[in-house]
Amino acid sequence: MNTKYYILLTFVVLMFVTGCQKLTEDPKGTLSPGTYFKTQSDLDASVASIYERYAHDYNYGFTTRMTSCFGSDDLTTDPALNKGDMREFDELNGSSTTGSYGQQWTGMWSGIYQANNVIANYQKVNSTDDLKNAAAAQAYFIRAWSYYMLVRTFGPVPLIIVPTDVNARPARDEVSKVYASIVSDLQTAIDLFPASFQITAGRANQWSSKALLADVYLTMAGWPINDASNNALAASEANDVIQSGKYSLVPDYGTVFSTNNSTESIFTFQFNVAGGTAQRGFGLSSVPLEEVAIDAAFGGNGNSGWDDYYPEINFFKNAPKCSRTDATFYTTIKLRNDDKKTFVMVPWNSNLTHAQHPYYKKFRSGLNGDGVTETANTIITMNASTNKALDVIRYPMVLLDYAEASAMATGAPTAAGYAAVNLVRQRAGLPNLTTGLSATAFRDSVVNERAYEFAGENGVRWFDVVRLQLLPKIISQRAGNENPIPAGIAADPSSRYLSPIPQNEMYRNPAWTQNAGY
Amino acid sequence: MKKKLQNLIPISKPGIKKLLLTMKLTIVIVFLSVLQVSANVYAQVTVNLDVREKSVREVLKSIEQQSQVRFFFSDDLLAMNELIDLKADNKNIISVLDDIFLNSPLTYRAFDNNLIVIAPKQMLQQQKITGTVTDKTSGEAVAGVNVVVQGTTTGAITDANGKYSISVTNNNVNLDFSFIGYEKVTVPINGQSEINVKLVNNSTLLDEVVVVGYGVQMRRDVTGATSTLKADVIASRPITRVDQALQGTTPGVSVNSNSGQPGTMLSVRIRGTNSITGSNDPLYVIDGYIGGNIESISPEDIESIEILKDASATAIYGSRGSNGVVLITTKTGKEGKMRVDFNTWISKASMPKYLDLMNAYDFANTVNAQYAANGQSPAFSDAQLQTIRAGGNGTDWQKAVTRSPLVQNYQLSVSGGTAAVKYLFSGSYLDQPGLLLNQWYNKGSIRANVDVKATDKIDLKFNITALQSKNRNTDYSGDLYDPFTLAFQWDPTTAIKDANGNYNLHSSYGSIQINPVAEANNRMSDNTTDNFTATGMVIYHILKSLTFTSSASYEGQFQYTPQLFGPQTNTGLSGNDHATVNNTRYRSFQNSNFFTYKNTFGDHSITLTALYEQQNRQNINVQAQANKLSSYANGYYNLGLGGTQTISSGYWADALQSYMGRVNYSFKNKYNLTASIRDDGSSHLTKKYSLFPSAALSWNINNESFLQNVKSLSVLKLRLGYGKTGNQAVSPYATIPSIGVGTSYYFNGTTPTVTTPLGTAVTSSLRWETTTQYDAGLDAGFFKDRVTFTVDFYNKKISDLLYDYPAPDYLGGGTYKRNIGSLENKGIEFAIGGTPVAANKLRWNTYLTISFNQNKVVDLGGLDNVQVNGIGSPQTGLSILKVGMPLGEFYGYQFLGTWKTSEATEAAKFGLKPGDAKYTDVNNDHSYTVADQMPIGNGMPKYSFGFTNDVSYGNFTLSFMFQGMHGNQLFSTSFPYTYGGLGDTKNATSVDALNMWTPDHETDFPVIGSTSNKLNSSRYVYDASFVKLKNFSLAYHLPQSLLEKVKISSLEVYVSGQNILCFTKYKGYDPEVTTAQNAITQGLETGSIPNPRTLTVGLKASF
Repeated sequence: MNTKYYILLTFVVLMFVTGCQKLTEDPKGTLSPGTYFKTQSDLDASVASIYERYAHDYNYGFTTRMTSCFGSDDLTTDPALNKGDMREFDELNGSSTTGSYGQQWTGMWSGIYQANNVIANYQKVNSTDDLKNAAAAQAYFIRAWSYYMLVRTFGPVPLIIVPTDVNARPARDEVSKVYASIVSDLQTAIDLFPASFQITAGRANQWSSKALLADVYLTMAGWPINDASNNALAASEANDVIQSGKYSLVPDYGTVFSTNNSTESIFTFQFNVAGGTAQRGFGLSSVPLEEVAIDAAFGGNGNSGWDDYYPEINFFKNAPKCSRTDATFYTTIKLRNDDKKTFVMVPWNSNLTHAQHPYYKKFRSGLNGDGVTETANTIITMNASTNKALDVIRYPMVLLDYAEASAMATGAPTAAGYAAVNLVRQRAGLPNLTTGLSATAFRDSVVNERAYEFAGENGVRWFDVVRLQLLPKIISQRAGNENPIPAGIAADPSSRYLSPIPQNEMYRNPAWTQNAGY
Repeated sequence: MKKKLQNLIPISKPGIKKLLLTMKLTIVIVFLSVLQVSANVYAQVTVNLDVREKSVREVLKSIEQQSQVRFFFSDDLLAMNELIDLKADNKNIISVLDDIFLNSPLTYRAFDNNLIVIAPKQMLQQQKITGTVTDKTSGEAVAGVNVVVQGTTTGAITDANGKYSISVTNNNVNLDFSFIGYEKVTVPINGQSEINVKLVNNSTLLDEVVVVGYGVQMRRDVTGATSTLKADVIASRPITRVDQALQGTTPGVSVNSNSGQPGTMLSVRIRGTNSITGSNDPLYVIDGYIGGNIESISPEDIESIEILKDASATAIYGSRGSNGVVLITTKTGKEGKMRVDFNTWISKASMPKYLDLMNAYDFANTVNAQYAANGQSPAFSDAQLQTIRAGGNGTDWQKAVTRSPLVQNYQLSVSGGTAAVKYLFSGSYLDQPGLLLNQWYNKGSIRANVDVKATDKIDLKFNITALQSKNRNTDYSGDLYDPFTLAFQWDPTTAIKDANGNYNLHSSYGSIQINPVAEANNRMSDNTTDNFTATGMVIYHILKSLTFTSSASYEGQFQYTPQLFGPQTNTGLSGNDHATVNNTRYRSFQNSNFFTYKNTFGDHSITLTALYEQQNRQNINVQAQANKLSSYANGYYNLGLGGTQTISSGYWADALQSYMGRVNYSFKNKYNLTASIRDDGSSHLTKKYSLFPSAALSWNINNESFLQNVKSLSVLKLRLGYGKTGNQAVSPYATIPSIGVGTSYYFNGTTPTVTTPLGTAVTSSLRWETTTQYDAGLDAGFFKDRVTFTVDFYNKKISDLLYDYPAPDYLGGGTYKRNIGSLENKGIEFAIGGTPVAANKLRWNTYLTISFNQNKVVDLGGLDNVQVNGIGSPQTGLSILKVGMPLGEFYGYQFLGTWKTSEATEAAKFGLKPGDAKYTDVNNDHSYTVADQMPIGNGMPKYSFGFTNDVSYGNFTLSFMFQGMHGNQLFSTSFPYTYGGLGDTKNATSVDALNMWTPDHETDFPVIGSTSNKLNSSRYVYDASFVKLKNFSLAYHLPQSLLEKVKISSLEVYVSGQNILCFTKYKGYDPEVTTAQNAITQGLETGSIPNPRTLTVGLKASF
């Protein structure tokens, strides 16, 4: 045989024998645990990942974040349109298959998953203890916040605080165990935050941890833990925050909702439309369907309202007359004329509007009008996506938590308690609270104050209804032309304080039992 | 060979005479005739002679003594003893010999090696015989016919025009004409110089050569279930894609155009659906290159397509063979003069149908009625209603977003070759605008296939193809933002544009999304793909029985995918206007090396194949996005204008290393055995190597003596097979947890911080999905294959199903790959073909295929069912995977019509009122909850069929093909959208809504409003069985006599139509389209663009 054939054959035989194809995997384009958590910047990016999970539609970016909270009197929605998810809960008739409310479950867990990742790995990073502790402390805070939302919305939930095998299917943990973990996480966070840690509303810090801990304790004094001893703990934590002097009320209530990170912002989630994280709970979401901005041809943008949420009629009617109420509610609807640029004003109960409800004014503007830009008689532009930071904890909450907790802890309102609630009332344009009230009467006044101070905000009102078991009361005050609550539920709403576990999660955990009544 | 000659040449040596005596001279001469005849060698040879009265024999001896020349002759030639006189003075030997034999009955022939043969003249005289070989039935020239002088190796092959030319030295021999598929013809020469032959087609199925992967086989030896499509079948329809050729033509293969968007892949399913989340597309092997890009092949360039269906045939492709294998062989040039083929067609495409929607006036009235039901004042005043009525029908959005475009296709190829080099060069261009505004696809490709016979032992092949395809907006997925989906939900009372010529972007009554025409015209989702694939192959015939083949293929692909979602799109209006550019570079390399040993020992024939193969792939991409461009004047070409810019990039690579061995054994052409085993090593898995064995038997029963006398039976073959194959549904790095890059977070609202979230959880113990398949088949042919019949039964069990298992949200949510269970496909497939009429000018060929497949989920790893994508809008969920049921199961409420006034009390128990929807309340709790959901339909067909016919009369051919499916259902959201019942629709648009329940007119169309009226229910499940006249064409071949004058060898013109008729109960656009993302959700339809109806004129010419 010719030499060249031998060369060819030898080459091939060699290839057979040696096998030159490597089969190991090297994901060059993807970070993997083997190559990560080496430097402080790895850690910083991992901490930012926790926050980022809350800055989307499926979490805190949209009105659906409070779907299950529509059962309270400060929130209702359209009788028709594509608002079924929120309407079901407004009618206290939510079901485990309702689409968007499930985001209240998935959103929180997505943050906890990232927080657990940071807590499990932060020690590996080559950096200073202060920087590492500050990172871990933020993770503990957000984990606590998320469990606090979960346990109040869904009751018993599995406590996942270390990385867990994906095939595991743990049981739901007792509510008390979940609360214990929340308290523990917040205390850990308070301990870990270095004294030098910069105080900004965009990051958790030791004061936001204390403010949250105060609110957690106050809730633990009510349903379902019902341990009154927590009132004193709540008062103490809230008092620390007040005494720190880090926060103060913004003189004009309305400004809080058109600017970001004010002096009363204790903890916020941040949004940036251009960066892909829009806050869409402001702007169009709270604008009536009938309102349409000036047409593009005349300098507007022609967008129309989404009609997602507005207050119930009697909640509005019972609001105290004050500047805060004026800044909160939107009562004159602007209907665009056929010329597409001028408007006719009609009252909220005009039959030219299909909902015949007042709306929220405070959520319209967004950040300096990036939601709705308008004058008294025109709407120029309206957008769904805003850059408005979402205040999760505002200073008034600490003041009101303190007022209530201190009164309930000692059996009578304290002077400091009165001072705290009156700070809030004064800013609202209200006179000081009647003196000499009993502890419970004082508590009820403070709870009423919270209802209007935080009207429409993230379910603050709903969770007061839950911890104080107020459903029978608010059902009795509900106007007849609201979305109807089925008679059976209206008669006994006791099962409605908790929402059902989302059906998909029930499928994934066949051993779980659904919350009673669903 | 050399050695033998040396034994023969030295005639002066002792013993040679004896040897010569024992041989037939004719044989020797014939043997010698393969040597090259040469005169050049003798140009320098001179002779000096002066003899008188000497015998020829002695003269020659003298010449031998003074030169190197040796003479070769038979001793018994009497003429050698003739006495001659000769004088030569340094005279050339050739002229000396001419003188010697001038008047002799003998002559000579001079060969290389100084050998000169002397023989009688009639024996050595060269005679040229020419002729033409034609097909007796069709009269067409037959190219490639072997013409051989009987008993010799002297031969020729007919050219493209059936012509041959052969030289013979003996007038008394016969010529054999043979060609696969024809009966051999033997013609005695008898001094004729022109011999024309008509061959009779005798091809039985068994004589066909079929490509089987790493080799070819005669059909008679094939043991697996395979189907073949030949070039003429492929070219008989004006198709734009290779996968269209499979439609309706192959038993066991179901091909559906799931979308009418131009350039989109068809859904090809060989023997049902095997993978629930992985790909169910077959593996395409193009000229030996595995996983080739079928877009790069122009249908006219295909020689044959082989579909390997059962595991005994596909197991040689191991971990990639589970979904069946489609082997595509491209054409090569044929020996003969250059041939030019030109094909072109032009089609007019149009919407097959429109939904029946309300006119503006009816719509406005319906909106008013709905408002009234909600206690609101009317939306349209009486005056407005009158204006609308006077204004005509209002805007027909369906027609506004669609059009009837012209589609054009051109293909030119040049081919030809010599015995040593064969070539084919081709180029094609397709321009295909879509039915939707601002939607198109076009493609240009070129190909070069060159085959070289470098030496006796070495064949070289080189195929290269390059492609550029471009498209715009062919990626609509059927979601709410699609202009097509919006069109049937939008408000007919709004005009497309206002008085100033600007789009009316919003409507108070249509879907909350924007004007569909504005969306269609302003959206730009573009793609340019450049792809080239080159395959080089060396075939080394080491021995007659042993061949070594080595091939290397390289594919490179570059994709440029820019998108622009400007201000007047949904994306733009929600404040997210942006432009993106994505650049992807992909490359794949494959090297295959195999030995083939093929030999016959008496009744035993055996073929052994041993393969080593390696493949690696790499993909790199860079994406840039710019949000809120300050100007859109540059489109997506200037991302620097963006307010914010984000960049991302990606990389993946993988590798596969395989060993394969195969034995084909055949005994007496009756009993055949194939056994193979492939060991695939993959980078994707933690445990790298997996084994895939197979075995199959076939029995050519018609070769048995007891059937020899049954003349009507031409083929009867039984096949049995077993094999294991895999499905590589695990993506690279699936076993490695990843830390991704998320959206940046802005801690102060303005400064971005990079985020690196931990990705979803993974499990490391992943395995391939494995299919174990059993097949039993029977092939029969009658009356020389005038009638053919094939039936196959199969049972496929797919285990280790890979599923994107939903992780509980508390463990990170999302999904993770997990091997969770098994499913089963059982089926029967038939193919019946025949030529019922073949009389004179009339010929009718017909072919019918029917495939029945039953699919069942056998095991889900302990779970009873898995709900897919949760429950919500139909777009995201509504399907269930349940043990004991087939894939594609719809899950929801059983719709029972409406609550009637007489049932008001009962309805109230549900919190409902008359006019609301009524469903089956399974658990009797007076509430429609999850517990009341049930299986409500299925998207899989019970059977599908194709029916092809060609009727030719003289120069006319009429072809038509019906294709259909039966028993499949569609869950359509197009209808609920038009009922105002789902999505972002504000009001009903369908005329069906005119029949809505009212107290006076109690129909089963629920009133709009109540949430429970919008549940996912059987109300939207429709029977989608259909029969389509997929294609018809009438072709005219211009007469040969006419064409010869203009030097055209054939010219055909035709008119044809596609999707002309559709018989179905389904009232949507097209029962064939779905928006299913995977096997579980098949049958979901959320507003898919239908397959166009087209009318085509075309021309095929060759020169």
